[in-house]
Amino acid sequence: MATAQVESGAAGHGAEPRGKRTEAGEATYLIAIAEALWEEMERDERVYLLGEDIGAYGGAFKVTEGFIERFGPERVMDTPIAEETIVGMAIGSAMEGFRPIAEFQYADFMTSGFDEIVTAAAKYHYRSGVPLPMVLRGPSGGGVRASSFHSSNPEPWFGHAPGLKVICPAFPSDAKGLLKSAVRDDNPCVFLEHKWIYRRIKEVVPEDQAFLVPIGQAKVQREGTDVSIVTYGMMVHLALEAAENLSQKGVSVEVVDLRTVHPLDSGTVLTSVEKTSRALVLYESHRFLGVGRR
Amino acid sequence: MATDVSEKQAEADWRVGLSDDRLRDLLYKLKLCRYFDERIEALYRQGRLPGAIYSGRGQEGTHVGVAYTLRDDDSLFPTHRDLSAQLTKGLDLKRVMAQFWGRIDGFTRGRDGNSHVGDWFGNRTWTPVSHLPLAYPVACGAALAYKRRGEQRVAMAICGEGATSNGRWHEALNVSAVHRLPVVWVVNNNQWAYSTPNPLEFAVPTVAERAVPYGFPGIRVDGADVLDVYRVALQAVDRARAGGGPTLIESVSLRWRGHAGHDPAKYVPKEMLEEYMQHKDPVKRFEELLLSHEVTDAEAVKRIQERVEREFDEGFEFAQASPFPVPSDVTKGLWVEDGYWRSEPSHEGGTG
Ligand SMILES: Cc1ncc(C[n+]2csc(CCOP(=O)(O)OP(=O)(O)O)c2C)c(N)n1
Repeated sequence: MATAQVESGAAGHGAEPRGKRTEAGEATYLIAIAEALWEEMERDERVYLLGEDIGAYGGAFKVTEGFIERFGPERVMDTPIAEETIVGMAIGSAMEGFRPIAEFQYADFMTSGFDEIVTAAAKYHYRSGVPLPMVLRGPSGGGVRASSFHSSNPEPWFGHAPGLKVICPAFPSDAKGLLKSAVRDDNPCVFLEHKWIYRRIKEVVPEDQAFLVPIGQAKVQREGTDVSIVTYGMMVHLALEAAENLSQKGVSVEVVDLRTVHPLDSGTVLTSVEKTSRALVLYESHRFLGVGRR
Repeated sequence: MATDVSEKQAEADWRVGLSDDRLRDLLYKLKLCRYFDERIEALYRQGRLPGAIYSGRGQEGTHVGVAYTLRDDDSLFPTHRDLSAQLTKGLDLKRVMAQFWGRIDGFTRGRDGNSHVGDWFGNRTWTPVSHLPLAYPVACGAALAYKRRGEQRVAMAICGEGATSNGRWHEALNVSAVHRLPVVWVVNNNQWAYSTPNPLEFAVPTVAERAVPYGFPGIRVDGADVLDVYRVALQAVDRARAGGGPTLIESVSLRWRGHAGHDPAKYVPKEMLEEYMQHKDPVKRFEELLLSHEVTDAEAVKRIQERVEREFDEGFEFAQASPFPVPSDVTKGLWVEDGYWRSEPSHEGGTG
């Protein structure tokens, strides 16, 4: 999981994110996300980015590094620190035919645009029939020593707002395929990246630009027969580690990665539990009323 | 000679470049909005209308004046109070009334209430969300789209003066200035935000002056004079269209009725209400103006009145004949791909 090796493959500022893969074709989660954004911007000129410090600086986590050189300041739009207006602009421009992707510096700051997300965006299509093709990206989760206000997992909040698709990928390929699907989706999507995963997890990611991962489909990441761990995001990696450890003690663990939190793929979950008869629900957010807890 | 020119100028000025036909049309809009508001309140008081009502009476000069400057493909982002602005832009009265009675032919197919009327596809008006002023930031987005595509289109947003106390109002103004967006910000200062008067909402004398520190002009206008409102709004719209950026318009009037139908508004001083109703009635004032300039006559005014009454009655009949949505459709239309909003509602109200 050596981050430096992956980044050293970078072809430099202004280059396509794909050039930042290792020679073996591996991409970190972060690079996979950058690839998805780049490819969708190349494919469809209605797609544009807006957010704080995403232009010349390339974003707080450098996801959009080099984008402004390729796509210009109109399509990589730096905004004031005004989260409600960032979301509002995404809504308004989506209503007028654009496909905006708004970046939040941290998912924690989505609360500062909360009303526009859950009150305006989530309910608008149900009430009016007007599609809102927009993506809200936020780096979420803990594990990187980033304080009380840079470590939150807001997915249960957004899961409680019908009308939003809430996506929490755990692997680079899923992140890329799901983000591309989100950009092409006609509904507002909340795409919660996990910053612990950003530079730690890498894998060979499909090169094919048509590669998509469907929203709303869970995936069994490891098959087992004794117990199912139903989880998503960074906890998938913890679950896989636990499954490996337990296999040495003779316990066969199945790991179900939800990938999308809402709409929830209960079919895959139930099929797994039917097989194992036992389920452990694992998530990083507050325990009470989290995803999967009743 | 000089007198001649200035006389001609005065003659041209009072009508703000509007032809006789357009002036008469403006009177029709004012009367339509007034009559609609009065009849709806009557039906509400008779217990014949479900839901709440938010009367815009007394503020028609503002609503009609600003909205009359917009072209069909300009967008309008109103609040609960601004139905008159939407009717001026051309919202289909029959469907408005179907929405008031919760019917399938309403714009929201029975899903939302009286104050949440809008028709994006038909009329480029936003379906209001209660939370104030949530559409201000959204108007920035529509305006951004026009600017990005180099279109000569404008977004106009309206809210009350109370809503200007909210942070997002300031955010939106600031962003519109930073990005020089083709947007017109309208504040309908009807002097009462529910029961709260101006001095408890802001500590500056006017709303309009708040524009300048953000980097664009703010103008205060008398909402009793529809042509003055129209003149000011037209300048703002033209400026935005020409790439000059945003303008803030504060149009001052009085809310004649309570905040909503349930509110007797005892907090509004009687003398204040009388002063406005007797001397600052935008509809009556404009009618008298047109009569004095002989743009219209009593007979024509009567015909306008008959027309708006007929249109109201037709809308009412249409609404009563429209079916309710079927309960089994309640979960449909959450996602675009389920197709609910692309399907035609059946005569029974369901989508099968
Ligand atoms: C954010 C928010 N808080 C509270 C309310 C409840 N509310 C609805 S209308 C209103 C008064 C609004 O006053 P103003 O903005 O002046 O508009 P007016 O109703 O006078 O047109 C309030 C407090 C709301 N809709 N939104």
